[in-house]
Amino acid sequence: MIDRTNEQWLADLTGKPDVQAPALEDLRYRLQRGIFYYLSRERSDLTHLSGQELGQMAEDLAQDATLRVMDNLDSFRGDSRFTTWATKIAVRLAISDLRRSRYKDFSLDGLTAEGEVLPSAGDTFPTHTAPTPENATERADVMMKIERALREALTERQYQALSAVALQDVPLEIVAERLGTNRNALYKLLHDARRKLRQHLEAQGLSTDYMLKLFEE
Amino acid sequence: MSLHEGELHKLIDCIVTSHYDDCLDCETCARELDCLAERVAMGAKINDLLPEVATHLCCCRDCFEEFEALVAILRAENSGQLDGIG
Repeated sequence: MIDRTNEQWLADLTGKPDVQAPALEDLRYRLQRGIFYYLSRERSDLTHLSGQELGQMAEDLAQDATLRVMDNLDSFRGDSRFTTWATKIAVRLAISDLRRSRYKDFSLDGLTAEGEVLPSAGDTFPTHTAPTPENATERADVMMKIERALREALTERQYQALSAVALQDVPLEIVAERLGTNRNALYKLLHDARRKLRQHLEAQGLSTDYMLKLFEE
Repeated sequence: MSLHEGELHKLIDCIVTSHYDDCLDCETCARELDCLAERVAMGAKINDLLPEVATHLCCCRDCFEEFEALVAILRAENSGQLDGIG
Protein backbone atom coordinates (compact mmCIF):
# COMPACT_ATOMS: atom_id res chain seq x y z
CA MET A 1 0.00 0.00 0.00
CA ILE A 2 1.46 3.35 -1.08
CA ASP A 3 1.53 6.34 1.24
CA ARG A 4 0.02 9.22 -0.69
CA THR A 5 -0.35 12.91 -0.01
CA ASN A 6 -3.83 14.37 -0.27
CA GLU A 7 -3.00 15.69 -3.72
CA GLN A 8 -1.75 12.28 -4.84
CA TRP A 9 -4.91 10.59 -3.59
CA LEU A 10 -7.08 12.98 -5.56
CA ALA A 11 -4.92 12.73 -8.65
CA ASP A 12 -4.76 8.93 -8.55
CA LEU A 13 -8.44 8.40 -7.81
CA THR A 14 -9.39 10.58 -10.76
CA GLY A 15 -6.56 9.39 -12.98
CA LYS A 16 -6.37 6.94 -15.84
CA PRO A 17 -7.59 3.40 -15.15
CA ASP A 18 -4.09 1.97 -14.58
CA VAL A 19 -3.50 4.60 -11.88
CA GLN A 20 -7.03 4.71 -10.54
CA ALA A 21 -7.50 0.98 -10.01
CA PRO A 22 -4.67 0.49 -7.46
CA ALA A 23 -5.65 3.72 -5.68
CA LEU A 24 -9.22 2.49 -5.38
CA GLU A 25 -8.02 -0.83 -4.01
CA ASP A 26 -5.75 0.93 -1.48
CA LEU A 27 -8.60 3.13 -0.38
CA ARG A 28 -11.02 0.21 -0.05
CA TYR A 29 -8.46 -1.77 1.93
CA ARG A 30 -7.78 1.13 4.30
CA LEU A 31 -11.48 1.66 4.91
CA GLN A 32 -12.06 -2.03 5.43
CA ARG A 33 -9.35 -2.21 8.10
CA GLY A 34 -10.78 0.74 9.98
CA ILE A 35 -14.33 -0.54 9.80
CA PHE A 36 -13.29 -4.02 10.88
CA TYR A 37 -11.45 -2.55 13.86
CA TYR A 38 -14.51 -0.54 14.84
CA LEU A 39 -16.93 -3.44 14.48
CA SER A 40 -14.74 -5.93 16.30
CA ARG A 41 -13.25 -3.76 19.06
CA GLU A 42 -15.62 -0.91 19.69
CA ARG A 43 -19.10 -2.44 19.30
CA SER A 44 -20.18 -4.40 22.34
CA ASP A 45 -23.49 -5.20 20.59
CA LEU A 46 -21.69 -7.20 17.89
CA THR A 47 -19.71 -9.56 20.10
CA HIS A 48 -22.05 -12.43 19.16
CA LEU A 49 -20.76 -12.30 15.57
CA SER A 50 -17.78 -14.35 14.47
CA GLY A 51 -14.63 -12.81 13.07
CA GLN A 52 -15.61 -14.10 9.66
CA GLU A 53 -19.04 -12.47 9.87
CA LEU A 54 -17.55 -9.18 11.00
CA GLY A 55 -14.98 -9.44 8.23
CA GLN A 56 -17.72 -9.87 5.65
CA MET A 57 -19.63 -6.91 7.07
CA ALA A 58 -16.50 -4.78 6.96
CA GLU A 59 -15.81 -5.83 3.38
CA ASP A 60 -19.33 -4.97 2.21
CA LEU A 61 -19.35 -1.67 4.05
CA ALA A 62 -15.91 -0.73 2.73
CA GLN A 63 -17.09 -1.41 -0.80
CA ASP A 64 -20.09 0.87 -0.35
CA ALA A 65 -18.00 3.48 1.44
CA THR A 66 -15.46 3.56 -1.39
CA LEU A 67 -18.23 4.30 -3.86
CA ARG A 68 -19.59 7.02 -1.61
CA VAL A 69 -16.16 8.59 -1.22
CA MET A 70 -15.78 8.65 -5.00
CA ASP A 71 -19.19 10.29 -5.35
CA ASN A 72 -18.17 13.01 -2.90
CA LEU A 73 -14.58 13.71 -3.94
CA ASP A 74 -15.52 17.26 -4.90
CA SER A 75 -16.48 18.07 -1.33
CA PHE A 76 -13.08 17.20 0.17
CA ARG A 77 -11.71 20.49 1.51
CA GLY A 78 -8.27 19.27 2.52
CA ASP A 79 -8.63 20.24 6.18
CA SER A 80 -7.60 16.75 7.27
CA ARG A 81 -5.73 13.86 5.72
CA PHE A 82 -7.66 12.45 2.80
CA THR A 83 -7.85 9.04 4.45
CA THR A 84 -9.35 10.57 7.62
CA TRP A 85 -12.02 12.30 5.56
CA ALA A 86 -12.74 9.04 3.73
CA THR A 87 -12.89 7.16 7.03
CA LYS A 88 -15.39 9.71 8.32
CA ILE A 89 -17.65 8.84 5.40
CA ALA A 90 -17.15 5.12 6.00
CA VAL A 91 -17.89 5.44 9.71
CA ARG A 92 -21.11 7.28 9.06
CA LEU A 93 -22.19 4.70 6.53
CA ALA A 94 -21.35 1.79 8.84
CA ILE A 95 -23.09 3.29 11.85
CA SER A 96 -26.15 4.19 9.77
CA ASP A 97 -26.33 0.62 8.58
CA LEU A 98 -26.13 -0.70 12.13
CA ARG A 99 -28.79 1.74 13.34
CA ARG A 100 -31.20 0.79 10.56
CA SER A 101 -30.72 -2.87 11.29
CA ARG A 102 -31.24 -2.44 15.03
CA TYR A 103 -34.29 -0.21 14.74
CA LYS A 104 -35.87 -1.77 11.66
CA ASP A 105 -39.13 -2.41 13.57
CA PHE A 106 -39.24 0.91 15.40
CA SER A 107 -42.40 2.92 14.94
CA LEU A 108 -43.54 6.31 16.18
CA ASP A 109 -47.13 5.07 16.37
CA GLY A 110 -48.43 5.41 19.87
CA LEU A 111 -45.93 8.07 20.85
CA THR A 112 -48.50 10.75 21.49
CA ALA A 113 -48.99 13.04 24.44
CA GLU A 114 -52.35 11.33 25.04
CA GLY A 115 -50.97 7.82 24.78
CA GLU A 116 -48.77 5.89 27.12
CA VAL A 117 -45.05 6.49 26.94
CA LEU A 118 -43.50 3.10 26.45
CA PRO A 119 -42.25 1.55 29.68
CA SER A 120 -38.52 1.71 30.08
CA ALA A 121 -36.17 -0.60 31.86
CA GLY A 122 -34.78 0.55 35.17
CA ASP A 123 -37.55 2.99 35.87
CA THR A 124 -37.35 2.69 39.60
CA PHE A 125 -34.93 4.53 41.79
CA PRO A 126 -32.00 2.65 43.25
CA THR A 127 -32.47 2.10 47.00
CA HIS A 128 -29.87 4.70 47.96
CA THR A 129 -31.83 7.41 46.19
CA ALA A 130 -35.26 6.47 47.53
CA PRO A 131 -37.11 9.68 48.42
CA THR A 132 -38.43 10.63 51.86
CA PRO A 133 -42.27 10.95 52.09
CA GLU A 134 -42.07 14.77 51.85
CA ASN A 135 -39.66 14.53 48.99
CA ALA A 136 -41.84 11.94 47.24
CA THR A 137 -44.82 14.32 47.34
CA GLU A 138 -42.72 17.13 45.90
CA ARG A 139 -41.37 14.86 43.20
CA ALA A 140 -44.86 13.68 42.25
CA ASP A 141 -45.98 17.30 41.97
CA VAL A 142 -43.04 18.21 39.77
CA MET A 143 -43.55 15.13 37.60
CA MET A 144 -47.16 16.15 37.07
CA LYS A 145 -46.05 19.62 36.03
CA ILE A 146 -43.48 18.19 33.64
CA GLU A 147 -46.04 15.89 32.05
CA ARG A 148 -48.38 18.83 31.65
CA ALA A 149 -45.58 20.89 30.15
CA LEU A 150 -44.94 18.14 27.61
CA ARG A 151 -48.58 18.31 26.53
CA GLU A 152 -48.90 22.08 26.57
CA ALA A 153 -45.55 23.38 25.38
CA LEU A 154 -44.80 20.98 22.54
CA THR A 155 -46.42 20.27 19.21
CA GLU A 156 -47.36 16.64 18.52
CA ARG A 157 -44.35 16.31 16.21
CA GLN A 158 -41.98 17.77 18.80
CA TYR A 159 -43.45 15.47 21.44
CA GLN A 160 -42.97 12.37 19.27
CA ALA A 161 -39.40 13.33 18.41
CA LEU A 162 -38.43 14.17 21.97
CA SER A 163 -40.02 11.01 23.35
CA ALA A 164 -38.22 8.79 20.86
CA VAL A 165 -34.82 10.46 21.06
CA ALA A 166 -34.59 11.59 24.68
CA LEU A 167 -36.67 8.94 26.44
CA GLN A 168 -36.20 5.86 24.29
CA ASP A 169 -32.67 6.59 23.08
CA VAL A 170 -33.59 6.07 19.43
CA PRO A 171 -30.99 7.60 17.08
CA LEU A 172 -31.94 10.88 15.42
CA GLU A 173 -31.31 9.33 12.05
CA ILE A 174 -34.00 6.70 12.59
CA VAL A 175 -36.53 9.13 14.01
CA ALA A 176 -35.87 11.54 11.15
CA GLU A 177 -36.60 8.79 8.63
CA ARG A 178 -39.85 7.88 10.36
CA LEU A 179 -40.90 11.52 10.47
CA GLY A 180 -40.07 11.95 6.80
CA THR A 181 -37.41 14.55 7.44
CA ASN A 182 -33.63 14.62 7.73
CA ARG A 183 -31.32 14.53 10.72
CA ASN A 184 -30.41 18.18 10.46
CA ALA A 185 -34.02 19.34 10.48
CA LEU A 186 -34.84 16.97 13.31
CA TYR A 187 -31.95 18.27 15.40
CA LYS A 188 -33.30 21.80 15.00
CA LEU A 189 -36.82 20.63 15.86
CA LEU A 190 -35.50 18.94 19.01
CA HIS A 191 -33.44 21.98 19.90
CA ASP A 192 -36.57 24.14 19.74
CA ALA A 193 -38.56 21.56 21.71
CA ARG A 194 -35.99 21.45 24.50
CA ARG A 195 -35.83 25.22 24.73
CA LYS A 196 -39.63 25.53 24.77
CA LEU A 197 -39.91 22.91 27.47
CA ARG A 198 -37.20 24.53 29.53
CA GLN A 199 -38.77 27.98 29.23
CA HIS A 200 -42.23 26.58 30.04
CA LEU A 201 -40.92 24.89 33.17
CA GLU A 202 -38.86 27.89 34.24
CA ALA A 203 -41.94 30.09 33.89
CA GLN A 204 -43.56 27.87 36.52
CA GLY A 205 -40.60 28.22 38.84
CA LEU A 206 -39.09 24.87 37.94
CA SER A 207 -35.47 25.57 37.16
CA THR A 208 -33.27 22.78 35.89
CA ASP A 209 -31.06 23.17 38.98
CA TYR A 210 -34.07 22.69 41.25
CA MET A 211 -35.27 19.59 39.34
CA LEU A 212 -31.81 18.09 39.24
CA LYS A 213 -31.43 18.57 42.99
CA LEU A 214 -34.89 17.24 43.75
CA PHE A 215 -34.42 14.04 41.79
CA GLU A 216 -30.85 13.45 42.83
CA GLU A 217 -31.57 13.63 46.53
CA MET B 1 -49.29 9.70 29.22
CA SER B 2 -47.37 8.67 32.26
CA LEU B 3 -43.68 9.29 32.73
CA HIS B 4 -41.60 6.78 34.61
CA GLU B 5 -39.01 8.27 36.91
CA GLY B 6 -36.19 6.81 34.84
CA GLU B 7 -37.59 8.61 31.82
CA LEU B 8 -37.96 11.76 33.84
CA HIS B 9 -34.24 11.71 34.58
CA LYS B 10 -33.51 11.43 30.87
CA LEU B 11 -35.88 14.27 30.15
CA ILE B 12 -34.30 16.52 32.75
CA ASP B 13 -30.85 15.66 31.41
CA CYS B 14 -32.02 16.54 27.96
CA ILE B 15 -33.39 19.90 29.10
CA VAL B 16 -30.25 20.64 31.10
CA THR B 17 -27.98 20.02 28.12
CA SER B 18 -30.03 22.26 25.83
CA HIS B 19 -28.30 25.50 25.00
CA TYR B 20 -29.81 28.89 24.41
CA ASP B 21 -27.38 30.18 21.86
CA ASP B 22 -27.70 29.54 18.14
CA CYS B 23 -27.19 25.85 17.70
CA LEU B 24 -24.73 24.29 15.34
CA ASP B 25 -26.49 21.74 13.17
CA CYS B 26 -25.44 18.19 12.31
CA GLU B 27 -24.24 19.07 8.82
CA THR B 28 -21.93 21.79 10.05
CA CYS B 29 -20.68 19.50 12.79
CA ALA B 30 -20.02 16.72 10.27
CA ARG B 31 -17.92 19.05 8.12
CA GLU B 32 -15.58 19.70 11.04
CA LEU B 33 -15.47 16.14 12.33
CA ASP B 34 -12.48 14.73 10.39
CA CYS B 35 -10.16 17.62 11.21
CA LEU B 36 -11.30 17.66 14.83
CA ALA B 37 -11.01 13.90 15.24
CA GLU B 38 -7.45 13.92 13.93
CA ARG B 39 -6.39 16.45 16.53
CA VAL B 40 -8.29 14.79 19.36
CA ALA B 41 -6.74 11.44 18.42
CA MET B 42 -3.37 13.16 18.87
CA GLY B 43 -4.32 14.28 22.38
CA ALA B 44 -5.97 17.69 21.93
CA LYS B 45 -9.15 18.61 23.84
CA ILE B 46 -12.27 19.33 21.82
CA ASN B 47 -13.25 22.30 23.95
CA ASP B 48 -9.91 23.96 23.27
CA LEU B 49 -10.33 23.52 19.53
CA LEU B 50 -13.96 24.02 18.56
CA PRO B 51 -16.17 24.66 21.59
CA GLU B 52 -19.30 25.09 19.47
CA VAL B 53 -18.79 21.63 17.99
CA ALA B 54 -18.18 20.27 21.49
CA THR B 55 -21.52 21.76 22.54
CA HIS B 56 -23.26 20.09 19.61
CA LEU B 57 -21.65 16.75 20.41
CA CYS B 58 -23.00 17.00 23.98
CA CYS B 59 -26.52 17.41 22.64
CA CYS B 60 -26.45 15.08 19.63
CA ARG B 61 -25.88 11.39 20.31
CA ASP B 62 -25.70 10.49 16.62
CA CYS B 63 -22.88 12.92 15.89
CA PHE B 64 -21.11 11.98 19.11
CA GLU B 65 -21.25 8.27 18.26
CA GLU B 66 -19.74 8.94 14.84
CA PHE B 67 -17.08 11.22 16.29
CA GLU B 68 -16.08 8.66 18.91
CA ALA B 69 -15.88 5.91 16.29
CA LEU B 70 -13.66 8.02 14.06
CA VAL B 71 -11.36 8.95 16.93
CA ALA B 72 -11.12 5.29 17.98
CA ILE B 73 -10.10 4.22 14.47
CA LEU B 74 -7.56 7.05 14.16
CA ARG B 75 -6.04 6.20 17.54
CA ALA B 76 -5.79 2.56 16.50
CA GLU B 77 -4.16 3.61 13.25
CA ASN B 78 -1.71 5.96 14.99
CA SER B 79 -0.68 3.22 17.41
CA GLY B 80 -0.19 0.65 14.66
CA GLN B 81 -3.13 -1.51 15.75
CA LEU B 82 -4.59 -1.58 12.25
CA ASP B 83 -1.40 -3.01 10.74
CA GLY B 84 -2.28 -6.57 11.65
CA ILE B 85 -5.80 -6.35 10.25
CA GLY B 86 -6.76 -7.53 6.80
